[in-house]
Amino acid sequence: MRGLHVAADATVDVTLTVNGRTVTVAVSPRTTLSDVLRDRLGLTGTHVGCEHGVCGMCTVLLDGEAVRACLLFAVQCEGVALTTVEGLGSADDQHPLQEAFSHHHGLQCGFCTPGMLMSAYDLLAGGTYAEDNLPEDMSGVLCRCTGYRGILAAVADVAREHPDGVPPPRAAVPPALVGRSGSVSVGATLTSGERKSARSPEEITVPSGPPTVTVEVRRALASPVDDVWTVLADMDRLAACLPGAEMTADLGDDRYRGRAVVALGPVSLRFEGLAHVVERDDTKRRMRVLAQGADRGGSSTQAVIRLAADPAPDGGTTLWADADVHLTGRIAQFGRALAGDVSRRLFEQFADAVDEAARTGEAPTRRSSPLRLLLAGLTTRLRRLLQRPR
Amino acid sequence: MKAAPFAYCRPDSVDEAVDVLAGGDAKVLAGGQSLVPVLAMRLGRPGTLVDITRLPGLDSLVIEDGQLHVGAAVRQRTIERSAHVASVPLVARALPFVGHRELRSRGTVCGSLAHADPAAELPAVAACLGASVLVRGPRGDRVVDAREFVTGAMTTAVGPDELVTGVRFPVARDGEGFGFAEIARRHGDFALAGVAVRVRGDEATLAAFGVSDRPVVRELTLDDPTESALRPTTDALAADIVDTDGDAHGSRGYRARLLGVLAARELARAHREAHR
Repeated sequence: MRGLHVAADATVDVTLTVNGRTVTVAVSPRTTLSDVLRDRLGLTGTHVGCEHGVCGMCTVLLDGEAVRACLLFAVQCEGVALTTVEGLGSADDQHPLQEAFSHHHGLQCGFCTPGMLMSAYDLLAGGTYAEDNLPEDMSGVLCRCTGYRGILAAVADVAREHPDGVPPPRAAVPPALVGRSGSVSVGATLTSGERKSARSPEEITVPSGPPTVTVEVRRALASPVDDVWTVLADMDRLAACLPGAEMTADLGDDRYRGRAVVALGPVSLRFEGLAHVVERDDTKRRMRVLAQGADRGGSSTQAVIRLAADPAPDGGTTLWADADVHLTGRIAQFGRALAGDVSRRLFEQFADAVDEAARTGEAPTRRSSPLRLLLAGLTTRLRRLLQRPR
Repeated sequence: MKAAPFAYCRPDSVDEAVDVLAGGDAKVLAGGQSLVPVLAMRLGRPGTLVDITRLPGLDSLVIEDGQLHVGAAVRQRTIERSAHVASVPLVARALPFVGHRELRSRGTVCGSLAHADPAAELPAVAACLGASVLVRGPRGDRVVDAREFVTGAMTTAVGPDELVTGVRFPVARDGEGFGFAEIARRHGDFALAGVAVRVRGDEATLAAFGVSDRPVVRELTLDDPTESALRPTTDALAADIVDTDGDAHGSRGYRARLLGVLAARELARAHREAHR
């Protein structure tokens, strides 16, 4: 019986659990865990500083204990369970430690923050916490801004608020699929932890602040208004008209679960989400829909969408669609303009598909592919850039 | 800071590990907390790493025949949290000084011994207690006295084709007291000077580390076990022991002074503990 032997220039599949999701990565022996997390799984919350175990930036939890991800080769990690800072909490659902860091301003440049958070979690969960030893116990991660006071105050605060142990990681922001090299596959099963962490999954919350993008589209359709409304009122057909989208479950009470894919250059976002028809007026042919979706990479979107169909003088229909779209996470870095272009293009394609569905009486056969969306979106944006006066 | 390419082997048995090591140009990978930085800085380029952390049997942590047996795959933090650690108080006191939590969760006790950094805590503890290091190689098993285990800076009695499979620390007996202290620039850094002591009656064993190329063990008799009375003795001892040249962090004289102070303090503490 021989064990595992991997040649220096060979790769081997390693299967591990990251933030509650099982992933398989092909790695060569010398690939560090930190590189796999960042470059292969897109979990760039884990920072890399010294890359030889001194600075602590890359601290993650391995089977519940803090470790240096730069001092582990991924090939050693077969079967382990990892939690990165992405799994500790998210922007919308922060872990108490993250809230405390924010409250005490436990960061200056923020580079050490993921390491500090994971180390602090390990300390508080490890059962050896003593406030008198806090500076020594937190000395495994360096802060070059020397913002230690706020960091220690934040950790001490959480320890006092949770004397019986710090709450577990919020868990389960699954890794984004960044297939830069080698193969990455993501298991389909959600762990129970993931299910638990999804906050009241049937509730849609729309942020109170101003939307990232406001989209208003008015489109003349050839089909008569009643046919158009028939499509809009039927969620199955309406979903089929959304480019890259698919309805996966009817939850009843006008709530639906679905997914959508948006591809944009190197970006590929896969949103899983919910839609809730909160108003539907069949007489005036108006409806209001709340929608939210989260991408595996931590991007999320919420939208308030209003649809209206009015008869046009030519016997056709004027379709009105406007939406307040809120973007958070990585997707927000796109910038307002590009996100607006993409959203507007989505609605235009949606309107065309509705027209087609109304005309044929069927769900559109030729669904808009994410690729077409990409091309259309980029073309529009490029055109506008080129038109900009110098 | 990426390691040069190497082959990876995760053997199924200790014998297979020994076979691979016998092939030459291979290093044992356990916790990797000392080895991987060396690879990352390309200070070492072994052709093969032999991962022993999943070998059956090497994870044993048991007390038998008056000794705490620590297998080569047992991580420092595992023993730190184990109820067994109380039976060897010197190990319990030294472990918090070994690196940081984040390193002890991967680093192994035997790995610290095998790496044999002159400023490392656990080789000194093993030498102080007269622990036994278990070694296996192509010629079978052998047991090395911890006091003869380290043969120089980062050099041990283990051959390149051999593997440390475990270490046995004698369990503390009634009437024994212990002391451990070190001074480092920051918590978790390697010590500028450190000492581990065991007192039994009026007889004491002292192991100094960070002050020579290996742990230095001395036996002494405590006539007057108060710290102030011990100072002249420990100062003389320190002047004799310290042969590390000064560096940016402390001169030879400074290290000798640290050692003299720490030794007197810990000997007095251990004596009080032994006579409680």
